[in-house]
Amino acid sequence: MRSNSLLLSFLSVALAASATAAPAPADLLAIRVGRAETVSHGAIEHAVLLVEDGVIVAVGADLPVERGIPVLDRPEWTVMPGLVLPYSRLGLDGRAGAEFNPEVSPAAEILPRSEDYEDVLEFGITTLGIYPPGNGVPGQALALRPKGDSLKEMLIEEGVYLKLYFRADARSKKMVKDAWAKVDEYDEKVAKAKEKWTKDQEKSKSSKKPAEGEKKDDEKPAEKPAEKSAESSKGAAKAFVPPPPDDKVKPFLRVRDGKLLPLVSISQSADWAHWLDAIGERKFDFALRVVMQRDLDLYEVQEEIAKRGCMLVMEPEISYQVGTMRQRNLPAEFANAGAKVVLIPRGEELDAHEAWRRDVGELVKYGLSREAALASMTLNGAALMGLDKQFGSLEKGKVANLLFLNGDPLEPATQVVAVMLDGQIVHGEVRQ
Amino acid sequence: MKNRSNSSPARAAAFLVAALMLQGAAFAQEAGAEAQGEDADASAKKNDEGDWFAVVGGDVYTGTGAVLRGATVLSRGGTIRKIGHDIEVPSDAKVLDASGLRVYPGLVALNARGVANRLGGSDYADTFDPYSQNLVLALAAGITTVSESGVAIKLKRREVKGVVVRERYLSTLNYTSNNPRSKSELEQKFEAASKYLREYRDYEEQKKTNKELKEPSARGVDPTIRAILENRSMARFNSTTRTDLLGIARLAQKYKFRPIVEGATEAWTVADELGRAGAYAVIVPRTRRDKSEELLRAGGSSIENAALLHRSGVQVAIQATSTFVDLGGIAGRDILHLPIEAGFAVRGGLPEQAALEGITIVPARILGVEHRVGSLEVGKDCDLIVLDGDLLHYQALVQYTVVDGKLVYEKDKELYYAHIRPRPTALPADAPDARRDKGEEASDAKEEGEETSGDEKPEDEPEEKPKEPEDKPEDGSEDGR
Repeated sequence: MRSNSLLLSFLSVALAASATAAPAPADLLAIRVGRAETVSHGAIEHAVLLVEDGVIVAVGADLPVERGIPVLDRPEWTVMPGLVLPYSRLGLDGRAGAEFNPEVSPAAEILPRSEDYEDVLEFGITTLGIYPPGNGVPGQALALRPKGDSLKEMLIEEGVYLKLYFRADARSKKMVKDAWAKVDEYDEKVAKAKEKWTKDQEKSKSSKKPAEGEKKDDEKPAEKPAEKSAESSKGAAKAFVPPPPDDKVKPFLRVRDGKLLPLVSISQSADWAHWLDAIGERKFDFALRVVMQRDLDLYEVQEEIAKRGCMLVMEPEISYQVGTMRQRNLPAEFANAGAKVVLIPRGEELDAHEAWRRDVGELVKYGLSREAALASMTLNGAALMGLDKQFGSLEKGKVANLLFLNGDPLEPATQVVAVMLDGQIVHGEVRQ
Repeated sequence: MKNRSNSSPARAAAFLVAALMLQGAAFAQEAGAEAQGEDADASAKKNDEGDWFAVVGGDVYTGTGAVLRGATVLSRGGTIRKIGHDIEVPSDAKVLDASGLRVYPGLVALNARGVANRLGGSDYADTFDPYSQNLVLALAAGITTVSESGVAIKLKRREVKGVVVRERYLSTLNYTSNNPRSKSELEQKFEAASKYLREYRDYEEQKKTNKELKEPSARGVDPTIRAILENRSMARFNSTTRTDLLGIARLAQKYKFRPIVEGATEAWTVADELGRAGAYAVIVPRTRRDKSEELLRAGGSSIENAALLHRSGVQVAIQATSTFVDLGGIAGRDILHLPIEAGFAVRGGLPEQAALEGITIVPARILGVEHRVGSLEVGKDCDLIVLDGDLLHYQALVQYTVVDGKLVYEKDKELYYAHIRPRPTALPADAPDARRDKGEEASDAKEEGEETSGDEKPEDEPEEKPKEPEDKPEDGSEDGR
């Protein structure tokens, strides 16, 4: 990243220099299209987008474009945010055991320049969330841009969510309870250490009282033992530093503090009931991954889930009321109940990724709202990874990841004509 | 046969006494309920907490023999607080109107499979599926408690807390003439355990005077058998043949424990022996078994099995042919048809009250949960079903099911039976309630002697009636007459 940033700073200096000289900076582009699906603010007809340095700086209908700014003028096109697929094992092996490894990241698995990334980019997927494989607690997902020669270039952020696989059985419940028990254990340890520290403080210097040592928010407890010895010798100058948490405890501390979102895989209502039983009174946010299958009884707990404000990750599929031939559009039902739904391709293969948009469009015919459908492939996915400030909609300040289509994105015949990643056209022939 | 006829009046008398006791005092608890009050939540429930729930206006068949017409069952926090007439229902109570309907205790189904535990695994508290289709179907069949692998489980819907009522109460023992060695081994185990317990009792007695006495060693004593003899567990046998049943009855009489015999197809041939052993029988009234050709004695299955056992004092629990929820080939013989199965026992001569007990309180006793479920009594769990007719009648459908004072099944709102005979709407107040009258006749069968005189009247009436129209014009009003 260093070489890259160096290069960037060079560029920006050059740009700044040129900006003073010429009215239009080099890296400024106006895009004029027939329609823009902003996702965040509905659709805009005759839309104009202004992109500067790979960031959207203005979005609006018929905005005036200053002379000298290059214009991409395609009234027959529709533009929408690049697709965000937050839940993927694209091109990676999915097999693994059921272990408790909340600290693991799939970073080591990523193979930059893999053809898969190129392909999904052509389908309009501009942000990927890759999760570690396995049941139990396999680890934390990372966010990638599907282009780059090295992991550093591709990596957007690590630890975007914690994957957790849960089912209604004693083992799963024990795993969850144990994880939280460890958190309590750690808290106790911190409390004890603090008590001791306070006593030491009083002992060594009775006059000086420490202001406050927040035990929960501090997360860089690097040199505790060294400090301990220093404490007694130097006295009470330093603030309290809690003992370092175990690697396996750390992610759950972040979960508790709302800094890491657990994505809990469940496959039926009973799992939900037992999950609630397992977490008990603890309050923390989590999202749900629901494996769609033919008979899925999740409608039983739909309201509960929506009321709790859980995001759901599911495939765009029609399921059946259990034991009947009654079709149910669960994604639509959840969206209508107020839950944020993230729809993902129906399989790991490339065809499924290509059909993704079409499959979501199919659900729209069965009652999913257009807004929810578009958000399910963009903004909601970004929100799941905590990246909705950067990606997922056409808004000022967001990264210019754009998907250009020759029609309505939710119509099956519509094709991708161009894809822009960080302000650069990476797919499709575009002449200004 | 002699035995049977002799014991019959005695049994009937005992029955009457029991019925009177229960009717007179609602707080009369099942014997041994206190001994089993091991679960903490039962005592916690006694606190004045939780939601009120009332079932009003129904004919309440308490399962203890009493029938209270148009009565109210009031519960709080899942426990029955009051049963009877003129009960004040708190204003914040949820009220279920059962007028014109019958209220029974929730049914208890033994040896169920795949109802509470659709997900597999043995830890029921952690695998219970409170949303499963089988569960809803079971509730629709009136079942509110099942035992799976010997674990008594409440069929709670939409919750997973507190579903396991009791675990590991039953001990399955193997006693069959096909395996003489294990049979004699079992006898030895009983002998050893019995001897140990005798010695221990002596020791306890003498300890008071002789402090240096040594405690008898429990080594070599089978803990299961010991638990059975100490009434901490119940012995369950799976046996169908006369020989085995007889052996079990004698074993039980010798060592003084109450055996549970499951299957028990030929039990009617040794009913007196089983009765003397205080046995429980779990039978499938529709089982068929041919008599062994080699034996001269009576054998094979009999539709009278349940009736004869009951007459001999054996407590009869009814089980369906298939204990799965089976919607396929043998539909009508699966766990969802438990009352129909009981109906077949009635066809064979079992009194209706005993048939009701055979699918409620007797299986509850077998599971050691009769202090919680199996009948409608104050202090017990509010698990009840509301039917549009006689529970044992093939036409009756469960309209409502209540578990722990919560309405968990409502026929008209579920997929399965909503379209079949929707709940009859209330008749106008002045209309003659035909259905109600019929129900009274059926259940007042005990007073047959008195009614025969009363029954003659309707026969006379038609002769008198033709006169009425003639009288009317003359008198002008009925009051004049």
